[in-house]
Amino acid sequence: MTRRAQKNSKRVGAVSVPWQLIAPVGLFLTIFFILPIGRMAYLSFVDPKFTLDNYTHALTVSLYASTIWNTVSTSLTITIVCLVLGYPVAYLLATRPGTLSLVLTACILVTFWTGFVVRTYAWLILLGNAGPIASLFRAFGVQPPQMLFTTPSSTLAMIHIMLPYMIFLLYAVMRRIDSQYLRAAANLGANPFIAFRTVFFPLSAPGVANGCILVFTMSLGFFVTPMLLGSPRDMMISQLISQQIEQLLAWGFASSLAMILLCLTVILLLIYNRFFGLTRLWG
Amino acid sequence: MLRVFSFLIAVYLLSPTVLVAIMSFGDAGSFHFPPRSFGFAVYQSYFDSGPWLVATYNSVLIAILCSIAVMVLVVPAAMAQARYRYRGQEMLNTLLMLPIIVPPVVSAVAYYGFLSPLGLTSSILGMVIAHTALALPVTYLVVSASMKGFDLNLERAAMISGASRVRALFHVTFPVLRPGLLVGALFAFLYSFNESAVSIFIAGRNAETLPKRMFGSILTDTDPVIAVVSTLVTGATLLGAVIWLLAQSKTWRSAINWPMGTHAELDRPTVKAGGLV
Repeated sequence: MTRRAQKNSKRVGAVSVPWQLIAPVGLFLTIFFILPIGRMAYLSFVDPKFTLDNYTHALTVSLYASTIWNTVSTSLTITIVCLVLGYPVAYLLATRPGTLSLVLTACILVTFWTGFVVRTYAWLILLGNAGPIASLFRAFGVQPPQMLFTTPSSTLAMIHIMLPYMIFLLYAVMRRIDSQYLRAAANLGANPFIAFRTVFFPLSAPGVANGCILVFTMSLGFFVTPMLLGSPRDMMISQLISQQIEQLLAWGFASSLAMILLCLTVILLLIYNRFFGLTRLWG
Repeated sequence: MLRVFSFLIAVYLLSPTVLVAIMSFGDAGSFHFPPRSFGFAVYQSYFDSGPWLVATYNSVLIAILCSIAVMVLVVPAAMAQARYRYRGQEMLNTLLMLPIIVPPVVSAVAYYGFLSPLGLTSSILGMVIAHTALALPVTYLVVSASMKGFDLNLERAAMISGASRVRALFHVTFPVLRPGLLVGALFAFLYSFNESAVSIFIAGRNAETLPKRMFGSILTDTDPVIAVVSTLVTGATLLGAVIWLLAQSKTWRSAINWPMGTHAELDRPTVKAGGLV
């Protein structure tokens, strides 16, 4: 809605708040979402005693700081690879509807709605010592390298998880690009490559921004996959959080790590909001 | 070139799923791929195994309860957002999106700390509460997208013709919105069914769901039953996808949009008045 339309509808429409409609969900989320997060934020400052120690600890001790850095760099890798792999697929879906597009959509949907644990398990077998890839190595008489429990294998699996999101977000923008523009460019003498570079790509840029921000922020919080497939030496922040709680019962420290992860996510989304507007991200 | 590349991506996306399906028919107790012999041994052990069946039951139960709760909360809210303009409307929008913004692990820690003093960890109720909050945003996107395309005049016409507000809602509005509402409920179900991070923290022993049990099993004994469960779950997901596609093609393509609901550029659907009488 344009700003003017919004203003007008405000003037004309009801200004009274429809409490009976929004109170249930508002109350539910306040009690069962805001409150738990708030309690966690509180714990991060007061457990075991009221200081900022948990935070300084997390940001200065090199083991923890390197975990945070590792999380950011892994997420960045995932985002870039997803963009490179996803862009051509989304382009195909948006510009050439047909059987292949339909099949692709079905593949993406099935992958999208298969749980993280299931897919991680599949990679566990695929990359395992008795798996097909290892057999392929043996068929050529080469001793297969250690693939499981390494950073590349968990990154590969995380890319697999994030790729459908990236494709959807790119496609959502690309399908609105009028194909007439490309034809016009061709009429004016642009070869397909130039038409793509000067017309299609700039128009798809919002999709790229959407996809990258969403994939990146979601990757920051990966837990199951790096936990099951990754190397214990390159932990991601979620693993560290779980370790602190499950093994050490260090609630305050775990909460402060969770708060750092949360703040990182929120700051990124706020920056995005400043430039593009978050509403664009979710319709 | 583009086609070949896309085909390879499809293979990359599907290969783990296909591989697990093949594994599920293999001989139990080995990770050798391809399996040396085929049969239903692992399926047999799934249907004979108490804990896996309990986990399946818990997963389905929690997902059903969660999708009901989500719909009860989301439908009125989506109606308020679509039909009213009021102060603080944007705030509610933000609130509704929060659970999807917060990384799952952060929610997990928060819920673990919040539910355990209440005695709700390791309980169905605790799981339903957490999953309901987490599934709200996705469902809200789907449902509100379908409502934006709804022509209020239909409801007005029903009320002018003598229907009460409630009757108009249940006999006109909801039937017209049905595809969107069904998909919304389906998304809530699937979200809960697949949710792993929060479940791993709070499900405990009494509310163990499939993702939580699979996670535990992979960490400890790597029970080959996981392959069977994965295949069954994927099969169910396929079924869900088919329903989704049917719902999409049957009525308005636009109302449902893509799973993330982004860029819901709605072509105003034309609802045939004749279909309602």
